[in-house]
Amino acid sequence: MHELRVKKSPFQRVKMTLSIIMLVAVVGCTKVEQEGKSAVRSGGESKIKVTATIGMISDVAEQIGGEEVEVTGLMGPGVDPHLYKASQGDIRKLDQADIVFYGGLHLEGKMTDILEKLESKKRTVAVSGNIDPSLLRSGKDAGGTQYDPHIWFNVKHWISAAQTIEQTLTEYDPEHAESYRKRTEAYIKQLDALDQEIRTKIGMIPERSRVLVTAHDAFGYFGEAYGMKVMGLQGISTAAEYGSKDVGDLRDFLVENGIKAVFTESSIPTKSMEAVIAGAREKGHEVKIGGELYSDSMGSPGSDADTYIKMVRHNVDTIVEALK
Amino acid sequence: MADFWIILTGTLAAASCGILGCFLILRRMALVGDAISHSVLPGIAFAFLLSDSRDSVFMLAGAAVFGLITVFLIQFLQRGGLQADASIGIVFTALFAFGVILISRNASHIDLDLDCVLFGEIAYVQWDTWILNGYDLGPSAVWMLGGTLLLIVLCVGLFYKQFKLCAFDPALALACGIPVALFHYLLMGLVSVSTVASFESVGAILVVGMLIIPAATAYLLTDRLSVMLLYSVVAGAVSSAGGYYAAVWLDSSIAGAMIVTAGILFLLAFIFSPLHGVAARYLKRRRLKSAAA
Repeated sequence: MHELRVKKSPFQRVKMTLSIIMLVAVVGCTKVEQEGKSAVRSGGESKIKVTATIGMISDVAEQIGGEEVEVTGLMGPGVDPHLYKASQGDIRKLDQADIVFYGGLHLEGKMTDILEKLESKKRTVAVSGNIDPSLLRSGKDAGGTQYDPHIWFNVKHWISAAQTIEQTLTEYDPEHAESYRKRTEAYIKQLDALDQEIRTKIGMIPERSRVLVTAHDAFGYFGEAYGMKVMGLQGISTAAEYGSKDVGDLRDFLVENGIKAVFTESSIPTKSMEAVIAGAREKGHEVKIGGELYSDSMGSPGSDADTYIKMVRHNVDTIVEALK
Repeated sequence: MADFWIILTGTLAAASCGILGCFLILRRMALVGDAISHSVLPGIAFAFLLSDSRDSVFMLAGAAVFGLITVFLIQFLQRGGLQADASIGIVFTALFAFGVILISRNASHIDLDLDCVLFGEIAYVQWDTWILNGYDLGPSAVWMLGGTLLLIVLCVGLFYKQFKLCAFDPALALACGIPVALFHYLLMGLVSVSTVASFESVGAILVVGMLIIPAATAYLLTDRLSVMLLYSVVAGAVSSAGGYYAAVWLDSSIAGAMIVTAGILFLLAFIFSPLHGVAARYLKRRRLKSAAA
């Protein structure tokens, strides 16, 4: 009990803490600078530093920015953007960037809050920002204000994302507007061709077999744009749990409709799909795993899916090969 | 500036958790932080269903309500005669499962999980600033955690004697006329408020770790509560700063590095503590043996 004598009085403790907090407040008080958002590049030879969250955005920024930009990606191949954990180096990548591009629509999970706040400090742009909300898919039960963020699987939406990137680069660096415009035109031509290619290839699948069964609900835009019924085991989030009824329903659907193949995804474990396949086999229907699709991230450099276009082509070829 | 804000945020979280952690360890309820990190799930589900938004404010409010429900239920079951560990286990698994059902029934097509909507990331604190009338008042995490720490220091400072007696000898406390139940609920309420506030600012692993490890380190170094509280806060602050620079060096997750640093400090105390350390006990036994021979 003798410690009671030496201990500081309660009010001394409180006073000490108060003064620490006051100190912090004084250190932290600075007038908000609004120049970040409107900053225009002031000539110079150095490249524009662009930081992008997911690989698909990095790819488009490189295609359009060309030699004028230096693109740094945060999330590597196989990373799930919903659950991404930052490393210390990411602070520097975001802090030093001249422009930050992200997916938006809550694709980056809790990090979306930060990216939105960053908009007041530097040029930070959601590539989904210019897509008409009426074209976005809203969650069935989400009351219409929460959208599916996986926009890159409708190539038309991705063209809008490319235009958003061009517009941002042009505003920041008007000097090179002409180069950005030319590269964007060329890239959109490629995307238009890709869109056509997908339609032709999907057309090769018999109409009643145009059903895409995957582990997680990332292919909604793809199904909507190219006329495939999409069924997923999990919700939009990769972390949502799936129920045993979901597994049973999906199994019965496969058996009843004679679906030949289901697909796994690069950023999701395959276990849940295996349960569905085993269930279908018990009912005497053979379903195979049609292959691995890239959903939330691209393949590693050097693979057959290391750019956005290659990634989409890989997915379409895999789907068509297994279902036709 | 990023370095300063991250270390300050980490230290504020560590100090709040460190002070409360000391009392929790003495009451053998150290895992209550981990329990709250799961049991707030129904809170965010309800908040989402009521507000149709994943805005942090609503998520935080939902989590705060269920944080309080969790600790009161744990305390209630424990007063009903159940062991502390069992009551923690029952309450958090049942509430978490309830949250899973709510989400799979009502919001399975939306990205709604704790990692996505509630748990923050300490790496980004310097950008999440509180702006008032056009003035940038610094990171909101610092304000929130500073306020929480202030509340804890106020409560523990004013009722230090009562908290101390309740932690060590509830029977004696009751005999002295201290409303033991009230102080238990007050402590658990503080734990709930500070963990939920810290989850939102710095993420789950940092809070759960800081609630246990620095307090356990301090426990090994002293037998006096006031000194233990001080050591616990110091160990937390050293872990925050040391962990941050370890994360710079390794280019790794900052929260992860802070907790690993806290773990290393604990290991050092476990081996070398002059009171309870492995080395000290070994030497003492050797001395006793040679004295006997």
